[in-house]
Amino acid sequence: MIEFKDVTKTFKSFDAVKGITCQIMDKEIFGLLGPNGAGKTTLIMTMATVYRPTKGEVIVEGHSATGEPDKVKSLIGISFQDPKYDRILTAREILDWHAKVTGLDKAVREKRIDEVLAKFGLTSEARKRTWTLSGGTKKKIENAKVFVQRPKIAVFDEPTAYLDVPSRLMVWDMIDELRDEGSTVLLATNMMDEADRMSDRVGIMSRGEMVQVGEPEGLKGTLKGRDVIELKLERVIPELPGEVSKVEEVKEAVFEGDVLKIVLSNGRGLLPYLINVVTAKGGKVNSVNLKEPTLEDVFLYYTGMELS
Amino acid sequence: MSSKPSSLFVLRVLIERDLRTLVKSPWILINRTLFFLIQLFVFAVLVSKLASSLGFNYFDFYSVGAVVSTITSIAFIIGEDLFEEEELGLLDYLLSLPFGHSLFVLGRALGGAVRGLIYVTPMMILVAYLDGYFSPAGIIGSLLVIFVLATGISGLSITLAMLIRNANRFDIMIALAELATVRVSAAIYPLAYMPQVLQPVASYSPVTSASDLVRAIFLPGYSAGIYETVILILFVAIFFGLGSAFLFRTIEGGKFD
Repeated sequence: MIEFKDVTKTFKSFDAVKGITCQIMDKEIFGLLGPNGAGKTTLIMTMATVYRPTKGEVIVEGHSATGEPDKVKSLIGISFQDPKYDRILTAREILDWHAKVTGLDKAVREKRIDEVLAKFGLTSEARKRTWTLSGGTKKKIENAKVFVQRPKIAVFDEPTAYLDVPSRLMVWDMIDELRDEGSTVLLATNMMDEADRMSDRVGIMSRGEMVQVGEPEGLKGTLKGRDVIELKLERVIPELPGEVSKVEEVKEAVFEGDVLKIVLSNGRGLLPYLINVVTAKGGKVNSVNLKEPTLEDVFLYYTGMELS
Repeated sequence: MSSKPSSLFVLRVLIERDLRTLVKSPWILINRTLFFLIQLFVFAVLVSKLASSLGFNYFDFYSVGAVVSTITSIAFIIGEDLFEEEELGLLDYLLSLPFGHSLFVLGRALGGAVRGLIYVTPMMILVAYLDGYFSPAGIIGSLLVIFVLATGISGLSITLAMLIRNANRFDIMIALAELATVRVSAAIYPLAYMPQVLQPVASYSPVTSASDLVRAIFLPGYSAGIYETVILILFVAIFFGLGSAFLFRTIEGGKFD
């Protein structure tokens, strides 16, 4: 388990992370969401003992990140957002060095490197200097470091950035496999579909604070009453918003052009009834659009920001 | 799952990484070797002829100093590597690996020294041969002396890399530091012929100490001992400490996302 206890990290006078308290359970995939500058990387690097918390404490598998940094580091493997390795070296050399320094013996690391390179389809490129490779291939090699290491705590920062769709799916499967083998996964991402699909729970960071933690479905539930039905009508009927607003679940109803926009709870259940109300008032519905809260809506609601 | 590796293992792997990156850049080796050979067989031969009227064998004196200067120059490269790693964010990766910051600095300083030693060992053997010195034990001793010097110079170079944030300023400072450590020393000219104001500084220089120790091994009529050894060891200890301290300051000092 990873425990953040009132963790603050201040650089000069800037609080990059402010009083974060949360727990990440064993074998959990925890999605860490937040716009650029929210403090995700600082939080990860504090957990990885690269930064010392200015206040508070991080406990990883019972070891204090401040008191026993080497023990904590030996449990963690990080795949960084931008590939971080010597580009003068080949993929095989990079993976071999990483596996060696993280404590894998020769036979194990050679077997794992072969397996991971084969899975990524990189066997034939493994002996080329990595500076000659494409952005997607470089990213695969960055991810491969953690898949070869198979650490107790695996951290992926934007693991599918620059990757094509088949590669994204493969990385997701490999992360699932890693968790099934017993790793706890911290997944920092700006891709909401990725967080929604992969995470058991997500934590949303904004301006250095953890503003919300929970299961994706549960968090979407917190936005209950924020379904939106858009009815495109043949003509504007001025009394319709007032009529529709008489329904208890409707929070708001307004015309935007010839579209009647209704904010409500249980939009799916009430849609037929609302169409009847509109039709009874002489309205003719040309098209219907029902929008239920997504993780992206949750993110935007709690951060009050746009995704970058 | 992986396990925590031992300190000795980590040092070996850090040195191995510096060697791997070195082997991939043979132009550095070619460049420094050519420079050494030209200095030895053109500059030193020429000045030796001029100085022969003073009854001073400048070629022998210079040949040792040239090896010491070359390893000094090569040891400075590790700071350039670290500066680049910091700029590229590679340092974050390296510091997230299972070893402490101090062990990392020690490993990189030793990596820089081992790289330097690999470069200059053939040069040292050539110089021993030219100076008429053939004892393997003495040659190994001289290599040990320049290895200690190179470890300290690597520490100095790492300290500068962690101290200076601006790339242009860093390039200038490294060039100046390299110039000062070699030129304000008895590596390539005798202390007695230096400007008086520089003589006290040069006498405390670790490059002077290393040059004098190797000359005392190779050449008759030269002596050196405890004083020079203490200066070398102090130099290594000071810059290992400063390198570690400034690495910590750089990491904690203000990069955030």
